[in-house]
Amino acid sequence: MSNIRILSALTLIALIVGQWFIWAYAPLEETMGLVQKIFYIHMPLAWWALVSFFVVFAASIRHLMTRSAGSDILAGAAAEIGVLLSGLALVSGSIWGRAAWNVWWTWDPRLTTTLIMWFVYAGYLVLRGSSAGGGMGGERRAMVSAVLGVVAFLDVPLVFYSARIWRSVHPAVLASQGGGLEPEMWHTVLVNLAAFGLLWLTLLWARYSLGRAEERAQALLLHGSPDAQGGQAGQGGQA
Amino acid sequence: MLRRAGFIAAKDLRLSVGGGQGLVQAMLLGLLLIFLFSLSRPTGELVSGQAAGAIFWLASAFGLVLVFNDLFSLEEGQGCRLGLLSSPVPEHAVWLGKGLAGFALLVISQAVFLPAAAVFLGQDIQGSWGVLILALIGVDWGLAALGALLGALAQGQGARESLFSVILFPLLLPVLLGGIRIFAGVFSGDAASDQGLWAGIIVAFDAVFTAAGAFLFPFLYTGEE
Repeated sequence: MSNIRILSALTLIALIVGQWFIWAYAPLEETMGLVQKIFYIHMPLAWWALVSFFVVFAASIRHLMTRSAGSDILAGAAAEIGVLLSGLALVSGSIWGRAAWNVWWTWDPRLTTTLIMWFVYAGYLVLRGSSAGGGMGGERRAMVSAVLGVVAFLDVPLVFYSARIWRSVHPAVLASQGGGLEPEMWHTVLVNLAAFGLLWLTLLWARYSLGRAEERAQALLLHGSPDAQGGQAGQGGQA
Repeated sequence: MLRRAGFIAAKDLRLSVGGGQGLVQAMLLGLLLIFLFSLSRPTGELVSGQAAGAIFWLASAFGLVLVFNDLFSLEEGQGCRLGLLSSPVPEHAVWLGKGLAGFALLVISQAVFLPAAAVFLGQDIQGSWGVLILALIGVDWGLAALGALLGALAQGQGARESLFSVILFPLLLPVLLGGIRIFAGVFSGDAASDQGLWAGIIVAFDAVFTAAGAFLFPFLYTGEE
């Protein structure tokens, strides 16, 4: 438990440093002004969301091979965080789009891919939650989720590529943003990427431990082992 | 394995065409959708080829959900699924058989949707019929491959059929976009310059999800409730 506290503290510090970089260190962008600063939050969110989805994919494959409960819990944890982060990335991207291009939404391949992935993984979470209502049993739910976790990630490149071709014929509202970032801006991007990476790791770790504890509690409930020490930190999960 | 898949497909088709409700429901729902969308056309104006293509493929996607829900519900009564699993038919053959049957039912229902699109949406096939049929086969292949895999989600008591469409639709996006784009060209008569790229996406989608379906289906289709 103390490890996660240390990690949380580090994350908090990193996020504060990241904010300092955004507001004090990075120069104000000439044409867009303050709104451009959304970018420093938006990009790490989108990035770590994609990493989450990759973790779902890898953990799902592992679950299919080994049927370990741990990888199923990890896949669920990563999917929840991925949906949260990609949702925030969509909202921040939309605000950026409104300010920069005067539209809330545009058929940009990256935006579209993020939205479709958000849909797919939201469906994945609904599927995972369907056992709560007396539906699928735990083992079956884990297997079905793992299959969907693999299929969903296989779709990512296809969605991205098709969104790109679709746009090239559609009237493009904007040209893709050029890469002319100042060095200070790059530093800010990297610092925030790292800070959000720490946040991602903390959330994933916390959610994973919670899932593990939930699993232990359920096993105790089912098998009624009285030797639990009553503490949440108890290790006796082999009931 | 192919022969056994053929048995499954033939059995499913016989059950679906004679007495099953999936095909009729799929056709009715698709027709209804095409008709309802035709209401969005202002009087005296034409529906663009792209809009008509989108409506056609949307109707097909809804039809797909009903077709595969029905195909997988055939074995839900009286422990038929366990019987099928304990027979010498490998799971892959079940997947292939269901996929083939679903493909056939989808094509049958589209044989109704296409004239309906012509009537209600005022479309005409001005492009090449060959392109239309090839695109139809390519896209339907992808739809059936993924439908046959994820249709197995609906097995058992915990089945939530509504969940199937929520999960399936976003995954189908690449292949549906390809179908819409090519159909838009065929309806309007000026073939899109990027038709080759879309054909590539459709083929890639078919290949990826045919392989994924064959590999993953045995994990989904089990005796568990």
